[in-house]
Amino acid sequence: MRVAAVASGRRLIPALALGVACAAQGAPGNDPLAWLQRAMQAARTATYSGTYVHSNGGRTSTVRITHANVGKEEQERIEPLDGMPYDIVRRNDDMFCYFPDAKTVRVDRRVTARFFPAIIEGTPEAVASSYEVKLGRAENVLEYNCQWIQLEPRDALRFPQALCSEVNSGLVLRAKTFNAQRQVIEQYTFTDFKMGSGAAVRPDVKSIFEARVKRWITDSQPRDEAKSVDTGWAVSDPPPGFRKLAELKRNLPGRPAPVSQLVFSDGVASLSVFVEPNSPPPRTADASSEDGTTAFYVRPMGETLVTVLGEVPLGTAERFARSVARRP
Amino acid sequence: MTQEISSLMDGELGAQEAGIAVQACCASEERKETWYLYHVIGDAMRGQAPRRLAFPTQVIDSLKAQPTVLAPRRPLSTTLARVAFAAAASVATIGVVGWIGGQGGQGPAGPMVAKSDSNLQPVASTTTLPAAQPAPDLQQYLVAHRQIPSPEFYRQVDNRVPARAR
Repeated sequence: MRVAAVASGRRLIPALALGVACAAQGAPGNDPLAWLQRAMQAARTATYSGTYVHSNGGRTSTVRITHANVGKEEQERIEPLDGMPYDIVRRNDDMFCYFPDAKTVRVDRRVTARFFPAIIEGTPEAVASSYEVKLGRAENVLEYNCQWIQLEPRDALRFPQALCSEVNSGLVLRAKTFNAQRQVIEQYTFTDFKMGSGAAVRPDVKSIFEARVKRWITDSQPRDEAKSVDTGWAVSDPPPGFRKLAELKRNLPGRPAPVSQLVFSDGVASLSVFVEPNSPPPRTADASSEDGTTAFYVRPMGETLVTVLGEVPLGTAERFARSVARRP
Repeated sequence: MTQEISSLMDGELGAQEAGIAVQACCASEERKETWYLYHVIGDAMRGQAPRRLAFPTQVIDSLKAQPTVLAPRRPLSTTLARVAFAAAASVATIGVVGWIGGQGGQGPAGPMVAKSDSNLQPVASTTTLPAAQPAPDLQQYLVAHRQIPSPEFYRQVDNRVPARAR
């Protein structure tokens, strides 16, 4: 019986594909950029909740997300369901990370943090300058009609991506990143998902741990670090399509002084360039690693150590690492 | 048995289970090598390799043969578990920070770990590392780049930075 049901379902797919784009209320026809715009906007403005699985290379994590838009303020709670307990409450660009074991709230200003389904940072036009945006096939995901939006890079400096956009709301329920061999190297997928009134999101999104601790210690140091500064360093020849999003100084554990961080993005993929003293024993040769979408390239420059980490092919990370120079 | 050794390192076993695991581990040369391998990986994760890397070839061969473990972890609760966390976590994320080996930094050292799960195609991770250099700590940069602090990372920061009361 089950086999027969699946077979008849398959026969429905061409009809579904044909009807999906036309039948949906508010769906933006055949314009891929309009679909992309709507998917990005829905991630910010819609009310939704659910659980998604994120696989990147050898890592897999499960996250519960609650998202609302209250009086034009974006409110979001991110609950990682693996490992030690903590959650993150975001209000627009203010992030509050609650660590119940340490009774501490870490207050940070969002610079690079992006949570599915809001994974696209740039405008559709910026994205379109580095990626060809196309409409793919229609698919039924979690019993929702969805339309795949494909981002095909215009060069080898970035990875191909595909977003599965729910037809009525535009929300992205699944996203994949591919390598040059078209193998999936990163995937986000909701395993349960509700939106609108069905999501039952209370209008004031709070940490699930907030009531558990009587007196929270607040650490605002990360927010202070997130302010823009002139680090004295620059990437003299950033690869095409990448623009600098932020320049800051971050404290990393075990470092006597803050580390300079320059953040770049092409609207989809982002990377950080870290510059710090090449402390003893100094490194003398380049080192690198690559896993899933994460490229890591370490380049000693005499007394200075340059480290590039981002969701880009290793060659792009190396190109950034070789372009770091003192600001003239 | 590999799972028991990993759990033992994680501090996840009770006293009786741990006793059995230790006895079983010591009774076999192969298991002793596994125990040794896991500690070397842990050392590498903490930037302490190659202090105990007496048999690098065997270790690298073993790494090549190791699949990445994607099974869900049991929650950790004890202090001991947290101490062992970095070492044990390395078993699950060899593909991410497998910084052992390398051929003088000249080109990729070749695929070290092949992974597979139901959703993802098998894709090899590659690492290169100059000989006799400690492992760069990818995790710190990853946390800074993604702006998603791990509780472990946070504790380290907390020890250094005086937190202000609300």
